Amino acid sequence: MQTFDNFIVILFIISLVYIAKAEMIKSYIGLLTFQGFLLFGLAYSELRELDAFQLIFILVETLIVKAGFVPFFLTRIVKVKNHRNNTGPIKGYYSVFVAGGIIVGSFIAAHLMHNEHLQVKYFTAAISSLLIGLFIAINHKDILTHLASYLIIENGIFLLSLALGSEMPMFVNAAILLDIFSSILIMGMFFNKLKDYFQNTDIGQLSKLKD
Amino acid sequence: MISLYLIVTAVLALAAFFIRKNAITHALVFAYVIFLAGFGIFMSHHVGEYFGEYFFCDYLGLIFLALLIIITFVSALHYVTSSKNRSNTPAIIALHNAGTIFFTGAITGVYFTSHFGVLWAFVEATTLGASVLIYHNRNQDSLEATWKYLFVCSIGIAIAFAGILFLGLAAQEKNNSDISFAGIKAIAASLNQGWLKACFLLIVTGFSVKMGLVPLFNVDIDAKDASPSQVGASLSSVLMNAGFVSIYRFYEAFSDTSILPWMNRFLLITGMASLFFAAVYSLKVRNIKRLFAYSSMEHAGLVMVAFSCGGIGYFAAILHLIMHSFIKSSLFFQVSQMHRIYNSKWDDNIGSYLRVNPLGGLVLLLGFISIIALPPSGLFISELLMMQALITQNLWWVALLVVALVLVVIYGLSVRILGILFLKKSTVNITPAGATLWESVIQLCILVFVFYLGLFRPQAVVDTIYAAIQTLPL
Repeated sequence: MQTFDNFIVILFIISLVYIAKAEMIKSYIGLLTFQGFLLFGLAYSELRELDAFQLIFILVETLIVKAGFVPFFLTRIVKVKNHRNNTGPIKGYYSVFVAGGIIVGSFIAAHLMHNEHLQVKYFTAAISSLLIGLFIAINHKDILTHLASYLIIENGIFLLSLALGSEMPMFVNAAILLDIFSSILIMGMFFNKLKDYFQNTDIGQLSKLKD
Repeated sequence: MISLYLIVTAVLALAAFFIRKNAITHALVFAYVIFLAGFGIFMSHHVGEYFGEYFFCDYLGLIFLALLIIITFVSALHYVTSSKNRSNTPAIIALHNAGTIFFTGAITGVYFTSHFGVLWAFVEATTLGASVLIYHNRNQDSLEATWKYLFVCSIGIAIAFAGILFLGLAAQEKNNSDISFAGIKAIAASLNQGWLKACFLLIVTGFSVKMGLVPLFNVDIDAKDASPSQVGASLSSVLMNAGFVSIYRFYEAFSDTSILPWMNRFLLITGMASLFFAAVYSLKVRNIKRLFAYSSMEHAGLVMVAFSCGGIGYFAAILHLIMHSFIKSSLFFQVSQMHRIYNSKWDDNIGSYLRVNPLGGLVLLLGFISIIALPPSGLFISELLMMQALITQNLWWVALLVVALVLVVIYGLSVRILGILFLKKSTVNITPAGATLWESVIQLCILVFVFYLGLFRPQAVVDTIYAAIQTLPL
């Protein structure tokens, strides 16, 4: 089972490198779906001892919401299949170098902080996901890419909770699920409204409110 | 009682959303405020008690609940008039009223929860409620502000959750999975101080968006600008207080540990940075709502500076929040009338306000005197105590810097507000009928109350604040 977990974590980290390099929205959607399945595999393997209700809850969170609903919803709101996002200053393979640097840095940090309660592999993947999500948000100017970066950060938070093994009350787990669900739903609705008001989905257009 | 509060909040919010008759949805908001007042009276008889696993009642929660009830009530009254003036559709009014109930309910949860995870969940809920309220005007500005608010708040809340996970890890190292306030406070001194520092840093960063502090303050300013004035009033008062309570709970839990001086320094830096940005932008900004939003940021910074001093600074911080909530909400309510009269929020277009709307002008003048902390404003007392706290800590240079930055903000406010009141002439067509006498009377009553608090400092208020901070290292 340990080998299976390691394999999934490595796949997750590779998917982060691909995400950092991606430029097409459909690539983001595909990679987020893939990450949803990977997170389900990890959660199932780590949390098998949970009771049936909690296991079903995790199943809903990862498989149905992260791998199913969210990519489906994003696909629906992106009418143009080959929608290319507006990349910022760091492009192409330079993004891969940045992502690689983040992953190596996260691994070193995780190794330094390692103790019996902190799993290095999950911690590396979680911190990498958080930082690469922030990197994508800063480096890209497309609104939909920002939505994808938010989901990458959320995946990082999910992994962090696995890394630290913290047990939150069901109420909090429900709030996290609601958070992802409602944020995506609301942001998706606003995305459509934004398209009605603005010519394209460049974040630069959202600059009317200033001093 | 807590279950009842959650059920009533949910039922009334849903009812306000689905029953799209203006009179009924407005009535439901007032019914909710009455229910909340009853809830507050009930809680005031159960101070120190726990309600189930996740809720408790303390004086801090009660103080801010009292403010929440008053401001939500006045805000609901103002919305009845403004929605009529703007000819909002029943659907928009219904969504706004449902959002108000949801938002108010979430903030109440922040005040009374006893568990860090549940606190996070309620703070997240305030984001969803606030988004609905910010989007009210359905125009390009509100769309931009809502999108930015949702996105940055979601990121901020995710960062705060990472902080809570670090806290969970620190607790697990001591074989403790309980992350309630009391549970953490009991073992905090024995926890890994590095994890606690990481937790506190992420929490303050994440929740800074709610309190309007550096680093995530921008979206808060945009939200106050693009939303209706009564929403700006709530964001500048009750939501800011919720952000403070969230940070306070972590601070209190860690206050018996060796990281207390580090937390104080961190809060001092955050407060000073917020004060600095507020001062710089106050000179530049010409939009009156943004000016008040930056003023809120200044006061949030002052609260953090006072709080970081400990001792009398704790008292000053809470007193400051109480006074600021009343004054700033009154000013935002008055801006709503100005907007109706001039159809503009730019100071270039607004002038001779005291002549055009004498009572409204008086409110703006008294609000201005109060917000810059001139005596007899209650803020004068809190800022004086703040200075005392800084000097007691031998932070003379910080005190001087605070005075200098506050003077910059006062200059920025004076140029705009006095110009609007006395010096300039309006450059746009005005609609004097936009002024409503009873609205200004309510705002005037609130400001007179602030003067009363500043002049007489009722013993009950002083005692309640001291009771709220008794668990801190005084």
